[in-house]
Amino acid sequence: MSNRKTFAPWPAPAKASDLPPVDTQIANKNSNALSLQQPRNKAEYVLSTLDKIANWARQGSMWPMTFGLACCAVEMMHMAAARYDQDRLGIVFRASPRQSDVMIVAGTLTNKMAPALRKVYDQMPEPRWVISMGSCANGGGYYHYSYSVVRGCDRIVPVDIYVPGCPPTAEALLYGVLQLQRKMRRARPSVLW
Amino acid sequence: MVSLLRTIRSMRRVGLREWFRQMQYIGDAKSGRFVGMDEFGNRYFENMNAEEEIPGRHRWVDYAQHEYNGTQVPPTWHSWLSHIRLDPPTEDPIVQNVTPHWKAPHVENLTGTRGAFKTYNTTVPKINAWEPKVTPRGTSSL
Repeated sequence: MSNRKTFAPWPAPAKASDLPPVDTQIANKNSNALSLQQPRNKAEYVLSTLDKIANWARQGSMWPMTFGLACCAVEMMHMAAARYDQDRLGIVFRASPRQSDVMIVAGTLTNKMAPALRKVYDQMPEPRWVISMGSCANGGGYYHYSYSVVRGCDRIVPVDIYVPGCPPTAEALLYGVLQLQRKMRRARPSVLW
Repeated sequence: MVSLLRTIRSMRRVGLREWFRQMQYIGDAKSGRFVGMDEFGNRYFENMNAEEEIPGRHRWVDYAQHEYNGTQVPPTWHSWLSHIRLDPPTEDPIVQNVTPHWKAPHVENLTGTRGAFKTYNTTVPKINAWEPKVTPRGTSSL
């Protein structure tokens, strides 16, 4: 217990009143999109609570449909492997579009592959999200001027999260997944009247 | 490595309140040296004892915000947390002396808020709509 001195006096977490104002709260000041945080009446309170429950359930286990097209797919596999370990977020790769929530478009989308991508996307049940991974999927990237490449997979499917990089690191993709969770947490379909 | 002994040891060191907070946010009972706190209230810790923390998990951050996110760590502390620099910015003489005075304050990722970055174009549009310019009849002096 000689080393206990170095451990014991941790300062308590700072109180919110002592800290500078949070950037995201400044940015959302007077926004009309705060019904999850500040419901305006009882009906909105009930509905936004239902929204929160749905959001919690959705972000707890995203099953991505892996659309690995090129070298980005290798980084996507790294996200699944031991170091970044997507399993701790409840993310399990699911090779069937009918049982997956998220599609990770990893790699160059060619004209020939585009109908297949759209078909797979159409087979996914609602609610569904798309992560566009890497420069090629975001906007064509290196192959932007090629005759046979789609200049961004957002020409084929609606994209929620764009992960930049060529290829993005597994860490970047995981950050993109966390951003998608953040987006899911913001969803409030029942109070959008 | 998570074990009962380590959990109890950490719990005794940091106290029940801190342990409960750790289980809420980190998901593991950790104990170590308090290294510093940044301007946003995030606390940074280190435990170099390989018996207690697996190398790779020996530096960690306890975020101040409930909705935490990796971009809330300012770059000086990020470089310490990711082992880009050996010493934390509170001790590192280079970080303290070479940091330029014109450096902008750190802002976390504002995606999804009204402060989100939106691209904009500053070039003159290449296509312009035709605006007909007709001289009204009967006004000419001819």
